Amino acid sequence: KKMASKIRVVLRPVKSIVVRFCPFESNVESTRKFLGCINHKKIQATNRNCEVTADVRHDGSEPLVDVMFVDGDRLIMKGANLTTIEMLTALGSRCNAKDLKEEQKSKKKSP
Amino acid sequence: QDNGYARLLRRQVEEVFRDNRMIAVCQYNSMPGEDMVLMKHYLRKHNIEVKFVLNEIIRPMLSQSKYKNLLPLFVARNILLVSPETKVKEMLRVLKGVPQINLLGACIDSTILSRQGVENFAKLPSLEASQGQMVGALALLPSQTSSLLQGGSAHLTALLDEHIRRLQAGEMGSPDESAPAQSLGAH
Repeated sequence: KKMASKIRVVLRPVKSIVVRFCPFESNVESTRKFLGCINHKKIQATNRNCEVTADVRHDGSEPLVDVMFVDGDRLIMKGANLTTIEMLTALGSRCNAKDLKEEQKSKKKSP
Repeated sequence: QDNGYARLLRRQVEEVFRDNRMIAVCQYNSMPGEDMVLMKHYLRKHNIEVKFVLNEIIRPMLSQSKYKNLLPLFVARNILLVSPETKVKEMLRVLKGVPQINLLGACIDSTILSRQGVENFAKLPSLEASQGQMVGALALLPSQTSSLLQGGSAHLTALLDEHIRRLQAGEMGSPDESAPAQSLGAH
């Protein structure tokens, strides 16, 4: 089983990440762990311009991770029924896909 | 567990909860060491101590004490900011400069507050100002009553004074009416 802190995510195509949760609810564990892993220095080092904000509420709303990408895409993950590893791999795979697209685009431009 | 170290840690946590008026629970995301030292320094200036806690130690302790409602806060990595005073405004100011620490909630004077509650608490006026406001509000009602009671006779007096003034002004022309005007003014 993979440890959440070992998953590599390259945040280059990400503009900002907002993690919203109500700490007094009982379904926020994976979202909070996700926030902790995202703040790890290795992942933060991949993109210093990416802002990670935590929005702490007390209104019974469900935990949410809102990712804005540089190319305008948006990824919303509802953490109530997801594990930390699932959220990290989902974000990681999307970031890799966007990175590959960027590389292909730049390769096409410079023959 | 009956592990000696666990018992020691548990006793330390119980002591923390007993001796401090303000206990703020924050999520701890990894931050560089020097930032942590700076933050600890600024908080120390306001007599706020930073305590790292282990969930396995604190959860059983909380579930048996009156702080049961703080239990859901203790998942993932947390730190406690504890202080025998309640300098919430200064604590919020320091935490604003540290994005890796997220305030989740606090227990101030045995009252559990959410993050919004803590921010509202910081905006409250001081105890003296609140006491002054209360005294002013309480004194308002009796002063209104006394002015109501005196209102009738004060109005009558004013009317009579005006009447005398007018009569005295008219007296310049006819001195016969001066006697009744003077008896009226005597009351």
